[in-house]
Amino acid sequence: MTQTVPNYLALTIRTILGGLFIYAGWLKIADPVLFAGSVAAYKILPPFGNYLVAATLPWVEFLCGLLLILGVRTRASATIVLLMNLVFTVALASAIIRGLDIDCGCFRQGGPKTTPWSALLRDLLLVAGTMVLLRLDTGRGDRNVAP
Amino acid sequence: MIIFRGLIPQMAVIIAIATATGLFWNRQLLVESWTGVVKRSVSPPLPTTHRLPLPLGMAQVKELFDRGEGYVLDARDATTFAGGHIKGATSFPLGEFPSRLPQFLKQVPKTMPLIIYCNGYGCHDSMDLGKKLIAAGYWEIFVFEGGYPEWRGAGYPVEGAQP
Repeated sequence: MTQTVPNYLALTIRTILGGLFIYAGWLKIADPVLFAGSVAAYKILPPFGNYLVAATLPWVEFLCGLLLILGVRTRASATIVLLMNLVFTVALASAIIRGLDIDCGCFRQGGPKTTPWSALLRDLLLVAGTMVLLRLDTGRGDRNVAP
Repeated sequence: MIIFRGLIPQMAVIIAIATATGLFWNRQLLVESWTGVVKRSVSPPLPTTHRLPLPLGMAQVKELFDRGEGYVLDARDATTFAGGHIKGATSFPLGEFPSRLPQFLKQVPKTMPLIIYCNGYGCHDSMDLGKKLIAAGYWEIFVFEGGYPEWRGAGYPVEGAQP
């Protein structure tokens, strides 16, 4: 019975996080060239690397979001989401340090600009949420994890 | 540790499935970008504040001129250019931009700093030419706002001027 509250909390976080990543992934899957442009604006990867990331990363986001909402392989997908958010945080921080005035490219591509600072804050919030989820969800939903 | 032994393979499978789907889904795009023929530009337009020609005062222009740095462009029409211009300047009339650009692109690398001038503060051709050259891909564009009148008035080197 004491598990009920954390379960609801975990469900809420899963749904929000999953929905967010499905949304983010889907927007980029819809226009990989535009997303490659957003990646290129960070000036981190070589030109082909930008396309490689644009071709694959949105699908990882989308699949992880789907698994989180469905509650399948929650720990694995939440850990990937956590790692992705950490990578995004580092990329955004490096953009801020290098003084790049770019759009974060997180969601809608080429729309109203989200500055690296606000994106960084949002990312840290997501990291915190994911960590809470990983603490609450001990893998009961994961049928393949050893007891 | 038991959990992690299961967790990492699971993560690997998830990432592998997603990546494979992405690679397959975008195979055409990836081939095009590898061979260098993507139809749309990769770099998004930078914020306009970073994409305007930079106005320079005469002292700074003279300094660049003395060091032989930068490529000086005269945005006025050819007749005016023939009647006197900054020494070593190249004529690039704003009105002939479309016809002159292809040749210019071949001759001058995009990394070359360009210093553009026209007939002084009342003349906007140099600024307009600068914007067009930025759009054409040139990176460092300076506009000498004082232009030819200020330069000649200071007694700096000119060519083709009537005695």
